[in-house]
Amino acid sequence: MAVEATVEPAGAAPRGRRPRRHAHVGATAALLSGPLLWTIVFFVVPVVLVAMYSVGFVTLLRDDQYNTLAFWRLFFSSSVYLNTPFSEGLFWRSVRMSLGVSVTCVLLSYPVAYMLALVAGRRKYTLLLVIIAPFLTSYLLRVLAWRVLLNPNGVIQTFLRDPRVGVLHEGQNIAWLYNSTFAIYFVLAYVWVPFVALPIFVALESLDLHLLEASTDLGASRWTTFRRVTLPLSMPGVIAAFVFVFIPTLGEYITPQLVGGPGGHMFGNAIQASFAESFDWQFGSAMSMFLIFAVAILLAIFGRYLNVRSVAAG
Amino acid sequence: MRGSELDVVLRNPATRRTFLRGMGVAGATGILAACRKSVEPGATGPASGAASYAPIEQEPGLLHAYEWAGYDAGWLYSNYTKSGYEKPKFSFFVNTEGALAKTAAGFGWDTDHPEVGYIQDFINLDAIVPWDTSLIPNFARLNPVLEKTGQINGQQYEIVLDWGYSGVIIRSDHVDPSINSYSYLFDDDLAGHISWFDSNWIIQMAAMVQGVPGNETFDMPPDQLEAAKNFCIEKGKNVYNIWTDYTQMWDDVRQGNVWAAYAWPDAYVNLKADVPVQYIRPKEGVLSWAEGLVLRNTTQDYHHAHQFADAWADAGAGLKLINVYGYGHANLDIDLSKVDPDVVKVFGLDDPQTNLSEPASFIDRFQPQRKAYNRAWEEVKASI
Repeated sequence: MAVEATVEPAGAAPRGRRPRRHAHVGATAALLSGPLLWTIVFFVVPVVLVAMYSVGFVTLLRDDQYNTLAFWRLFFSSSVYLNTPFSEGLFWRSVRMSLGVSVTCVLLSYPVAYMLALVAGRRKYTLLLVIIAPFLTSYLLRVLAWRVLLNPNGVIQTFLRDPRVGVLHEGQNIAWLYNSTFAIYFVLAYVWVPFVALPIFVALESLDLHLLEASTDLGASRWTTFRRVTLPLSMPGVIAAFVFVFIPTLGEYITPQLVGGPGGHMFGNAIQASFAESFDWQFGSAMSMFLIFAVAILLAIFGRYLNVRSVAAG
Repeated sequence: MRGSELDVVLRNPATRRTFLRGMGVAGATGILAACRKSVEPGATGPASGAASYAPIEQEPGLLHAYEWAGYDAGWLYSNYTKSGYEKPKFSFFVNTEGALAKTAAGFGWDTDHPEVGYIQDFINLDAIVPWDTSLIPNFARLNPVLEKTGQINGQQYEIVLDWGYSGVIIRSDHVDPSINSYSYLFDDDLAGHISWFDSNWIIQMAAMVQGVPGNETFDMPPDQLEAAKNFCIEKGKNVYNIWTDYTQMWDDVRQGNVWAAYAWPDAYVNLKADVPVQYIRPKEGVLSWAEGLVLRNTTQDYHHAHQFADAWADAGAGLKLINVYGYGHANLDIDLSKVDPDVVKVFGLDDPQTNLSEPASFIDRFQPQRKAYNRAWEEVKASI
């Protein structure tokens, strides 16, 4: 009798643990509820509303169209906004810009992150702080600062025009330095490099150094060790870094506007103009939703190759 | 049509154009708007006419003015506060489209300050009522040419107060002033030194260069709009930049990067002492903007609003507006002997009725196809 009383069916939770599990579940739910509510109220609901507005399920203004796909049709049929990847459609122009900036950022950040994670030793966190220090300043101010530096009468070109330097003649400008695609890439790369360095740093820092030693012991050169061991193991960080830049710059509009000149009109600028200048909200909503879909698809694709834990937790 | 995005960052309090036309407005208003039901025509507040409103003594008295940054300066409505009324509460918008958006989303105000081209939009939102001009003593002194632009169906929906040209400023040491045309903004000979403003009025200017009468450019048939748009796209290669921040444009003109720019009168006032510039009111006729106060249909301070508008319409306020901002003022009794004679001459302030009348000038008006115009302008920008 006593034995029967103490035997528990296989798979059943031990007595005394059930309440703890309930408590655990309750605590998890409580912890999640805040962020979840926040996400629902300030992300999901607005996105759903914008989606509904783009097809006229929700209307706000007198001349809004009801239940229509006209704005989506207009968007997909316009050579201005979409067209083909090799055309001048604004979306693809933004994609090309984002790709260029993302690749540049990753290439520039990797050596920095490598140095911090594997070379800097005890000073690495101090140096990391120094690298991310620009984030203490407003994004907009950093972009504006570059305008002061790059413009034809800015610090750089004035310096180069100085007779003692003599690189430029009086009245001569470097046209590609300002109001140009180069300026957009350059400033965006500057803005994002510190941010991009972080996930790569985390990925490199979590490397098992014994693997590097083993590679050396087996006769691999430094370059081979980097190529065959370090780089593959840090790829989740590299992909995360790429995504961290690519997605926000895809909708970027303020930097192209400030330093890009007349050719700096991007997809984000078109969305901004639809809402803030043109009072063309339904069309702007369609463009916004398209951008969200595009980003979601990209995230899904990259997510297959991205081990979040290896980047975030080490 | 006007306003500056960068300025909201710079926080330059010097003029009302010191704001970005920023994404923030769009975002905030979008969320606000999303929470609001569809605007139902006819859902108005009190009917128009002073008789429908409580006497001024029974009004709350704290007027809510929705204004351009810089237009909260006390001297613009000093007669109002001198009369003992409480200083208005100010909210600011960065461009009229943003103000419309927030209004559509339910933002409350008593008076707003849109360009005349947007009056119809506010009426479409069922947001404003006509003024009772008999309650505004200074109204009789205001330029009738301008006040007519504030009327819809014979009712005075806007007390038009300030105005200016959207002409061209040129560096006269690089550009021949005798050409005297909007063609400066498209001239191949000035390639790389032209600055456009981020406005679909550039398309209208292109149409005027192509021979479309100025008054017809506000509502062009599709083929004309297409032709003007294509002309802009073709000439886009000549453009140094498309400015959104007027101080940026001033600097570019001052430094010689730009020789011909879309500009308001304030550019000339601010640059003429520094570099050789001329302000061009083109032979095609100059596009002009005018703006003033509109009255919210839900206002509880109907009489206060009229007192406020009267203070704004005062000649003393107008004189200071000209001298400080370089904009015109609708009051015809302004003592022009106290204004820089060059400014009076260049902007024709001594005969504003003639100079603001067609064909010398084409004052801003409602664009029935604004979305088509804006999309065409987007296409131009995307094609450069």
